[in-house]
Amino acid sequence: MPSGLALQLTARDLSKAYGLRWALRDLNLDLVPGECVALLGPNGAGKTTLLKLLAGLIYPTRGDIRLNGVQLSRSSTELRSTIGFLTPGEHLYENLTVRENLDFFTALYNKNHSLVAIARALEEVELTNWSQEYVSALSSGMKFRLSIAKWQLLEVGLLLLDEPYGVLDGSGINLLEAFLKSQCEKGNVVVIASHHIARVLQLCTRALILHLGKLTFDEPRRQPWDSFERAFADFLPHGGP
Amino acid sequence: MKLLRQTYLLLRKDLVLELRRRESLLTMFFFGTLLLFVFHFAFDLVPEKVTEMTPALLWLAFLFTGTLGLTQLFEAERTNHCLDALLLSPMDRGALFLAKTCFNIILMVAVEIVVVPLFWILFNLRSWEAVPLLLGVAFLGTIGFCVLGTLLSGVTLKARARELLLPLVLFPLMVPVILATIRCMEAILRNGNMGDALPWLRLLLGFDVIFVTVGILIFDWTIDV
Repeated sequence: MPSGLALQLTARDLSKAYGLRWALRDLNLDLVPGECVALLGPNGAGKTTLLKLLAGLIYPTRGDIRLNGVQLSRSSTELRSTIGFLTPGEHLYENLTVRENLDFFTALYNKNHSLVAIARALEEVELTNWSQEYVSALSSGMKFRLSIAKWQLLEVGLLLLDEPYGVLDGSGINLLEAFLKSQCEKGNVVVIASHHIARVLQLCTRALILHLGKLTFDEPRRQPWDSFERAFADFLPHGGP
Repeated sequence: MKLLRQTYLLLRKDLVLELRRRESLLTMFFFGTLLLFVFHFAFDLVPEKVTEMTPALLWLAFLFTGTLGLTQLFEAERTNHCLDALLLSPMDRGALFLAKTCFNIILMVAVEIVVVPLFWILFNLRSWEAVPLLLGVAFLGTIGFCVLGTLLSGVTLKARARELLLPLVLFPLMVPVILATIRCMEAILRNGNMGDALPWLRLLLGFDVIFVTVGILIFDWTIDV
């Protein structure tokens, strides 16, 4: 039974230029609740730019993004509480403890979680014994686990992930994938940009391929998936899923 | 209420980080004290020049020390892209401006409380009764400096040579605050009260009110430049 925020995301003619160079051009995208989308493409394809646009961290040069029909803009304070951006080892204060980081961000998002709920979130990511340690004392993988606990507590409807697999060990990957599956089951939207194609395709229900700022492929997952392999081979001749 | 609550959360976080790292406060304190010793060796403050030189020397010390603090103002947010984490959150960006301004004011006031009495001792000044009023005026000047400084720190946050750029942009815009504060301080040292410097005090108060309001309204845009 979906219990998430049921966000419907629409992007129209989305373009972003850095100076004279277009990082993203005329992208149209519709994401529906419960979708888990793989965002693929070579380096410089515009994946991170697209994620930052969807997160509202940068603004489009042209076009717009709407969440449930409401345009994402500078004044969308409330809308921002529904968007999460998970990047390995980032967005955590090094000189605050694990627990203080969670307390600070949950308070900033106005989420009144009980001490038990926070303790449970830490237990799920196996960081209970580290709750009083500074984040600077954690390894990259542990910081990522803390980020998972953070976004679990912040209960967002759209979760964006930028290359999440790099720093995690086997159990960390299982933890992440279980978390993402639970997010989709709740009806939340998940977008994962990654170069770990085999892993991410197993998890996702739809794949997008960006190449030189253009959306060159957008299909739901199926087996066999010849069209994906052809599209994938176009930008990476020696690659394969 | 939400703005104040978010400002409190951000300010508390900055104070906890500063108490743990003690980077900005210690650097500012030592730099301010060092400047006083340099002034002490460089200038011979004869009694007839006290009124003229004390405000200028004190403000030079505050200005340089404060600029040092401003360059470190967003250091915690630069590490681990924490600024993105804040901008991603539903926080009112005016709260970030207010929290950073208050944080900077707290640091500067802490430095001033030590630097002003030290200045009196080093230069063997006798007019101790003027110190509380001088600190009051210095506080108003500090608010003006911190408000404008925080606003411009936000503008130069993503610039490559921000440490060099910030004073270049800040100092010319600070002229009204510097002039008003120095004139008020001169009046206090000369008469023991504000006397004919009241228009300057009004200018200082007006500057503070206008830039606090402007800062809350436009910080959202400056931080995204």
